Amino acid sequence: MTTAPRKKTLNRIGLYVLWIGLTVFTVLPIYWMFVVSSRSRVQLFDAPTLLIKSFYIENYTTPLSSPAFQRYLTNSIIVATSNALLVTVLALLATYALSRWRLKGSDNIFFWTITNRMAPAAAFLLPLFLLYTRVFRIGDTSLFDTKIGLILVYCVFNLPFAIWLLQGIIDGIPKELDEAAYMDGATRSTVLWRIIVPLAAPGLAITFILSWIFAWNEYLFAATLTSVNARTITTGLAEFVTVTGTNWGQMAAVAIVTILPALIFLVFIQRYIVTGLTFGAVKE
Amino acid sequence: MRSNRMGWRMLTPTLVILFIVGLLPFLYVLWVGFYDWNVFSAVRGMTWAGVNNYRRLVFDQDFLNSLGRTFQFTFIVVSVELVLGFLLAQTLVTPFRGRSFFRTIYVLPLVVAPIAVGATWRLLVIPGFGPVPYYLDRFFDYPFRIGTSATHAWLTLIVMDIWHWTPFVTLTLLAGLTALPKEPLEQALVDGANRWQVFRYLTIPMMMPVILTVVFIRFMDALRIVDEAFMLTNGGPGLSTRFVGLHIYRTVFPKTDYGYGSAMSLLVLYFTIVACWLLFIALTQVGKQRE
Amino acid sequence: MRSQFWITLAVLLIATMVVGCVAPAVPAQLPAEPPTAEEAEPEAAAPAEEMNWWAEAAKAAGCVDTTIRGVSESTPPSTYAADVLAPAFTEETGIKVEHELTSWDQMYDKGIKDMEAGTGIYDYWYTEQDFIYAALANDYLTNISQLLEDNPELRYEGFDLSKFTTFIDNFKDPDTGDVYGVPMEAFIKINLYRKDLFEDADVQAAFNEQYGYDLAPATTFDQYRDNAEFFTKYAEENDMELWGTTVQAASGHVSSFYEVFETILPSFGVYNWGINMDNYKASEAEGGEMNSDRAKEALEFWVSMLEYAPPETTSSTWDEVAASFAAGRAAQGWIYGENAAWIATDPERSKVVGSVGVALPPVYEGVMEDAESGAGYIGYYDGGAFAMPHSSKNPLCSLLWLQYVGQEEVQPEWAVAGSRIVMDSTYDAPEVVEVDTITDGYFTMMEDQGYLFRGAPPFPFHAQVREVIAPFIWQAITGEMSAADAMDAAAAAADAELVNLGYGE
Repeated sequence: MTTAPRKKTLNRIGLYVLWIGLTVFTVLPIYWMFVVSSRSRVQLFDAPTLLIKSFYIENYTTPLSSPAFQRYLTNSIIVATSNALLVTVLALLATYALSRWRLKGSDNIFFWTITNRMAPAAAFLLPLFLLYTRVFRIGDTSLFDTKIGLILVYCVFNLPFAIWLLQGIIDGIPKELDEAAYMDGATRSTVLWRIIVPLAAPGLAITFILSWIFAWNEYLFAATLTSVNARTITTGLAEFVTVTGTNWGQMAAVAIVTILPALIFLVFIQRYIVTGLTFGAVKE
Repeated sequence: MRSNRMGWRMLTPTLVILFIVGLLPFLYVLWVGFYDWNVFSAVRGMTWAGVNNYRRLVFDQDFLNSLGRTFQFTFIVVSVELVLGFLLAQTLVTPFRGRSFFRTIYVLPLVVAPIAVGATWRLLVIPGFGPVPYYLDRFFDYPFRIGTSATHAWLTLIVMDIWHWTPFVTLTLLAGLTALPKEPLEQALVDGANRWQVFRYLTIPMMMPVILTVVFIRFMDALRIVDEAFMLTNGGPGLSTRFVGLHIYRTVFPKTDYGYGSAMSLLVLYFTIVACWLLFIALTQVGKQRE
Repeated sequence: MRSQFWITLAVLLIATMVVGCVAPAVPAQLPAEPPTAEEAEPEAAAPAEEMNWWAEAAKAAGCVDTTIRGVSESTPPSTYAADVLAPAFTEETGIKVEHELTSWDQMYDKGIKDMEAGTGIYDYWYTEQDFIYAALANDYLTNISQLLEDNPELRYEGFDLSKFTTFIDNFKDPDTGDVYGVPMEAFIKINLYRKDLFEDADVQAAFNEQYGYDLAPATTFDQYRDNAEFFTKYAEENDMELWGTTVQAASGHVSSFYEVFETILPSFGVYNWGINMDNYKASEAEGGEMNSDRAKEALEFWVSMLEYAPPETTSSTWDEVAASFAAGRAAQGWIYGENAAWIATDPERSKVVGSVGVALPPVYEGVMEDAESGAGYIGYYDGGAFAMPHSSKNPLCSLLWLQYVGQEEVQPEWAVAGSRIVMDSTYDAPEVVEVDTITDGYFTMMEDQGYLFRGAPPFPFHAQVREVIAPFIWQAITGEMSAADAMDAAAAAADAELVNLGYGE
């Protein structure tokens, strides 16, 4: 009789040990980055310790007060927000169309979008670069190094993502609701804005936030399709690493600033992250 | 009652944008791929090369190796993450005190920018002041050098990827497990099946769609790896972590080999579409079977 | 709980949407930058009544309030240009200068993309001496001599090309003599060593006991190896965080390629990367030297130095090598001269202030004679110039800036900040002489023995060949390939790539 409860207690202890260990493993790399961001160059040459004894605030203030860094930050906010907004609206229209009309070839459209989402960004680099600098250009103006260009490019992976995520949600709204509204003489836009949008609001919010995070986190396109006017914070971070070479403290500070917004958003979408990251295939 | 025209009209902006940024570029490089074009070659501009670029590509050992490396990496991380994720998901099925707290912390890496992930791990393992090599040297007299040892570089990349993505696998599988009907499992236990049998013959088959979804997403994502490796190893030591994405990058930008790079980009895209298609078919087949 | 969540979310959404709606309206424009103190108070600027040539010229060229943009590697000389010279120039002319400091890789990436695509983002660009030939071959740069001739009213009296050291010849078109770049940095890669260690009596005695001769900065490679070995052991015995030498051996970065090809190979007597300049062949069978016995010996020696280098060495690019030395982790090493000044003087970043010694790099037998006669060289005479991309949208404004940094008056202070010298007269400036003493005569060495070094070979295919060779150097570092195999493979790859590019058929 006594073995069962004891086994249970042991299991329980094991469970806590495991999860405390995992928590430490999860947090440690980020914590270490924070530690590094608190040290000056000369301090970093000393033996590594996890304790923060003093805080070298210059690691933060120097980049944050530099115009280049501020521009990168602004660009990132503008690009991520505009892209997320664009993507959410377009995906809403698209999924609504795909859900309510029998369109020829809609299966192919779905497959095409998913390959766009899954294709390696590296394969797009040269094609897009050549296109942006040579084809999409009028006189001296080209899409290269513009925020518009970046906002469009991010549609490559965000738009398919949003369509997939919203598809299930829109499909889940009973058609009868639309039909009833039409019977009452509502126009299509009324149906869309008064019925679909409110019902799909949570899904739209998740779509928006996750698209925003993806766009904010993106590096490779930004690194190749921008130079200075439209540079984003992730490319700024990569430049910082190679630029400062040994100025690890500042680099760590920039990295902390880079991951902060996404972490704040995470608080809101934590519960929905599975649905989001599996494109709506798995619900929680 | 409602015409298809309206549906198409709502779909048009999406299709146009995806055409411009998703398809047009490839039509353009399909054309460039038939030319020799290196900005710094003795002959300026583009010269017709026929299928030469593609012929070279098939025998290009560096390119093929980088492809192989990418698949190897993908295979390792996806299988480890799947097994680990499944085990961890099991521990989360029954509620316990603090579960949601652990969960919250645990998903943290999911939203960290890959480039920042690379930076983070670089700070951990860089010899000189990174704590990992420092303490290994100090307590075990073991030299951990990502700059010299391909094994160490791979190990770091793999652990990093596991750190980054196992939470996703865990939570997705957890969602699947939670949604499983309880009765058949309990009934089987009552009927005398042991835990392993239940797991093997009931849980896994029932979980198959979720497992496949996770594998599909992780597989395609792991194949895309560039940012993290770029930050952590830049493809080194030697060429040991130069994944195909990095290889393309170095060919088309520092080496400015536009013609050859075009052929390479196209081929990689083609591989991706095929891989995606196969996995997609598998996924939908299982989905249909279940219905 | 739930409703709270949605309210917060809604607020956030609205906030971001507002940003998003406003944003696309001004996409191509830069966010306005706050005016600097100088602009806010024009009275603070130099005596306004006095005829200021710069101000007049800027007005004449229609450049007042124009912004010119440039990019360069974040080296000490560039940092000085961005932080000190650019604001001073703005104050004099009203032309704003946005100088972007970035990594070496990014500088090239951005510059080449801009010039190749003709986007016109940059008005001036840092051209390294070894890239100039590729840039000229592709008509990337503006002919500065021509531009000055066409706009005589914009020629500044104090801008005198004859005052530059012969380094400027690297930036001239060999046929016409026209200038395409204004030199802004030049330095040599020297053997930096720890004076405090080398001059310590106990250390000297211990060395003599083991090797049977006196400890000194190395002049030969055998001696260099002895020094490296000795200090590594010595540090181990005395529990010091010190190693025998630095090695710039990042095993996935081009910096390791550069250390081998611009420093080690020449000092072993293999010049011009071992590529035959007559027929553009690298392998020995075809008349090149890249896989000659000497080249193999050179790489083997260099790789063997890894054993005596600090643990971070295989992750060290140029910056990290200097940092390792500055952290007091190496007794000697090949260090870019541009770092000499801060390592020797800046306690904020260096732990070896005041104990830095400077010597010529060790050389193989006969190489010094080659260098003295001009048949060879012992390393790169490195550096770069500010050049103007052909696509610059403000060439005249940029022209003023290039002349501004090419004035004699700005040179000495710049030399102190970035240990770079591009004009003969700079060597004699009092502040330079002072730093020269602290850095153990680095500037004197550059003045007197700079002729032993030489600029990079005039390759238009620089980066392309580098990209195919570098992987073999990396594999030699990790030990996947022996030095000899690596050089054989490198030569074969270089030959193939040269044919690909249309050279050396």
